[in-house]
Amino acid sequence: MTPTDAGGFAAADEPLDDLDLALLDGIRDLYQAVDPMPAELPERIRFSLALRGLEIEVARLTAEEDLPVLATRAVEQSRTVTFDSDSLTIMIRIDLNMDGTARVDGWLAPSQRREIEMRTTADTLSVVSDEQGRFAFTSVPRGIVQLVVQPTERGPGGRGQSVVTPALVV
Amino acid sequence: MTAVNDRRPTDPAGQPDRSSRIADLVSAARQGSDDALGQIVTELSPLMWHVARAAGLSSDDAQDVVQTVWMSLLSHLDDIHTPGALAGWLATTTRREAWRVRDAGRRQVPADQDWLAELPDRAPGSEELAIIGDGRRALWSAVGQLSPRCQELLRIVAFAPRPDYQAVAAELGMPVGSIGPTRGRCLAKLRALLAANPEGSPR
Repeated sequence: MTPTDAGGFAAADEPLDDLDLALLDGIRDLYQAVDPMPAELPERIRFSLALRGLEIEVARLTAEEDLPVLATRAVEQSRTVTFDSDSLTIMIRIDLNMDGTARVDGWLAPSQRREIEMRTTADTLSVVSDEQGRFAFTSVPRGIVQLVVQPTERGPGGRGQSVVTPALVV
Repeated sequence: MTAVNDRRPTDPAGQPDRSSRIADLVSAARQGSDDALGQIVTELSPLMWHVARAAGLSSDDAQDVVQTVWMSLLSHLDDIHTPGALAGWLATTTRREAWRVRDAGRRQVPADQDWLAELPDRAPGSEELAIIGDGRRALWSAVGQLSPRCQELLRIVAFAPRPDYQAVAAELGMPVGSIGPTRGRCLAKLRALLAANPEGSPR
């Protein structure tokens, strides 16, 4: 092909020039237009990073399933979500209450008694799981929430890791 | 980074300022500033989003992976000192997590959603042409003719702060050039494609 301008022939081992940078800008604009990051994602991330300073073990979201259930007046979604960390599996089921709040029933495996917090944008709720690892938050304001399973040992010097889930929207 | 700075062409988009701003933010975040950390999230999450999407994740999975990687960063913040190292760490960790999620294939797809609409754009296609301006169509179509590996590299590098895209590309095992800020094979190929159809040149 005959080079018609600076874009005509450009060797791979030459330094980047202004046209290369303009092309990268163009590529960025294109992907931003066709596949933009969801605008609300940074807010969710900042919410989940408010726990810095704690020794945390991150529990990854490993499964999620929507279960259509027939509520009294409308078909509502019930949802189960599973999180896995190195030491713990956390399963939760999210249902909607009639008053517009959410109910979160959960189960820890291996089953154990632990203090569990649910951070919401309003305040932090706290429950303790039973010996079978079961726990329930009966009235959770809808919005961004995050589960924090407190360390087993909480004395000075004996502080373990909190198991923390990503923020999710209920 | 000094050598890169010295050879960097003039950049009207002000990208070098972006890198030094991120350097200041990283330093403030390490000293405990939540505000600085929040600003770093704003700056670098789009890079991670495009790493995850280029790896083939759905929108939901990509969002979860990006968030999980940020949470993992909290334990590593003290070990990361330069914006290049930070962007490189975030990009490689995101890609590793994205591969893990993709290969596990455990996520179930809700029965009532059109999950085909959730598929990421593995390669630029004709549908996207409808929502971008005429001036960019030739560029988009040229990008679409590149190898999948070049598409992935350029997509990611385009979102990396300059001049740190060198570090990001190298971290991802896709060095742009072996010595200094060279153009690299993918950009050279793109320019050759555009030269065959010069309407796509952004000038």
